[in-house]
Amino acid sequence: MIWEVFRQEQRGKYHTHCGNVHAPDKEMALMFAQIQHGRRRPTHSLWVTPREEIGEVDAEETSFGGTTDKSYRWAMTFNTDEDFAAEIAASQREQEAAERERAERGDDAEGGGGNAEGGAEEGESA
Amino acid sequence: MSTETTGLGTPEDLTDAERGAVEAELRPLADGEFVLAERYTEWQVRAPTLESDLAISNIAQDELGHARLWYDLLEDFGYTEAALIWEANPEDFQHPTLVELPLGEGDWADAIVRGYLYDTYENLHLRALEGTSYPWIADRVGKVLAEEDYHTQHARNWLSRLCEDDPGRERVRKALDRLFPYALTLFAETEHEAAIVDMGIRTESLADMREEWLGVVVPHLDSLGLSVPVSEDGEVLVDLPDQVGTDGSHTEHWPELFEEFTHTYRELELGEPPRLLEDPDEV
Repeated sequence: MIWEVFRQEQRGKYHTHCGNVHAPDKEMALMFAQIQHGRRRPTHSLWVTPREEIGEVDAEETSFGGTTDKSYRWAMTFNTDEDFAAEIAASQREQEAAERERAERGDDAEGGGGNAEGGAEEGESA
Repeated sequence: MSTETTGLGTPEDLTDAERGAVEAELRPLADGEFVLAERYTEWQVRAPTLESDLAISNIAQDELGHARLWYDLLEDFGYTEAALIWEANPEDFQHPTLVELPLGEGDWADAIVRGYLYDTYENLHLRALEGTSYPWIADRVGKVLAEEDYHTQHARNWLSRLCEDDPGRERVRKALDRLFPYALTLFAETEHEAAIVDMGIRTESLADMREEWLGVVVPHLDSLGLSVPVSEDGEVLVDLPDQVGTDGSHTEHWPELFEEFTHTYRELELGEPPRLLEDPDEV
């Protein structure tokens, strides 16, 4: 009896088909699969399933679609003006500089008595 | 049982008595793994199916790896691998004789029964080493135990399937009858046994381990319809074989196996490293 084996590399990832083993039952199939499919590559989990339990429909029996070009649906093909990234970076720098200046002035106003870091944090959260 | 476990020192710090006890604990363990692996590899490319072949080869490889971990600790005392294995005398080996017996020809049940009896013992033995007072052993136990779970599972899975019908169970029964007395050699004590336990190198005596082992093996085999020569009240009804291995005594099959696995070493003259130039003094 043939058991198809599916390997999952990390928790949360898909189990992908990686081969098969001959075994009389599920327990033995799992035992053999560990050696043949779980030892050489990082493995988090293995599935085994009897080959005859797998349902299949192929391209000769049906038309699956997916053959027309619908790449216009993918936002990545739109042209964008790449300058905006530089503008955002410049604006970010400007805000950071202003923030620093505010923090320095705040220290002076407190007469140097307060905790500089604490003061800055308060300024940010306000 | 001794509860006081003051850790032993580094290999160089041990007293003669401590070192003797550590060696006496390690040598049967290392040889046992090594020789069992030798026997398992006889099944390589001959096992019943491709899958079972890969599994038993893999187990053999694990056991060789475990042997290396234990031999490596003996090497801390100044022995070389060559002196321990390849250039040793057959009678230097201290493995229990269970592992050296020839496998019944074409008898898969033999390999499975042997594996079952041995792995069940090995599991108990390793658990008795988890709390060892010799830190170098403690470092290695976890790694070995992780692999042993698979071995036990492998043996149990096969056993239950072989015992599903009468002809299969009959083969298992024959193998068991032949191997069971030799399995008792797994618990044969050396002269260092008391010291090993007193020093906390092993936290359980071989005698206690034997009781525990019988407590696992007897009911399990019984549940498969196999009878074991043990009375109702737990008394073993067969004698320990004359050759137990741990004292250096071996069956007549051992020299042959030793000859076989050291053959290549001798043929390649690995004991005498090749010299590119003649010794000028001898020219």
